[in-house]
Amino acid sequence: MPVSEIPPPQEPGDALAAVVALRRLADQLEDAAVEEAMRAGWSWPQVAEALGVTRQAVHRKHAKRLIAAGVKLRRRSP
Amino acid sequence: MRPFDAYLHAILTEGEAEARRDRSATIEAQHLLLAVAAQEDTAPQRVLAEAGLRHQAVRVALDREFEHSLSAVGVSAAFGLPRSSVLPGRRPAMGATGRLALERSFASAARKKDLRPAHVLVGILHAEVGTVPRALALAGVDRAALLARALELISE
Repeated sequence: MPVSEIPPPQEPGDALAAVVALRRLADQLEDAAVEEAMRAGWSWPQVAEALGVTRQAVHRKHAKRLIAAGVKLRRRSP
Repeated sequence: MRPFDAYLHAILTEGEAEARRDRSATIEAQHLLLAVAAQEDTAPQRVLAEAGLRHQAVRVALDREFEHSLSAVGVSAAFGLPRSSVLPGRRPAMGATGRLALERSFASAARKKDLRPAHVLVGILHAEVGTVPRALALAGVDRAALLARALELISE
């Protein structure tokens, strides 16, 4: 069903809870997607540009975790 | 260590582990509730179990709340989200709802030395809005009745 056909939640509580759930889902998706991209050989600048954030921001948020997970990180874009 | 301090320590440690399992950067009220439900042979755990809320049931209720909240805006969490790695040394910090639950727990005792394990559950159940009360409502649990039962434990 297209998003436009879904009525917005009537209850404020439902709408606020949807915000919380979407943030959580987006965080989980970001962690997984960044990890997959880096494993596939993407560079930090590419991932940052694709996410629409700065390289520093994406590095700060994910570098330690990926290094600990043994992901081989590339320094430069191809 | 007083019994309450040992209990609180166990709740905070287990709450942190629950937050990690949840891939959450913060310990929220729902992680504390899961921790309370995991403390076997404690009065608050028995009160939850009597209401059908064993540890696994709390988890199921929270998952259901997540899916229900997403579905309200047409999003399904049913797609296979790949599990990301977790940073081993990273410790989740106390989140806003976790802090609120603890503040309410401490505020529900007249004096610090009166604090008992049930106060933690009381603090969590005091929340009228947010993830925990929504999850309980979706699971068909009467939060007010559960709170009343937890308060009885304190006065026993």
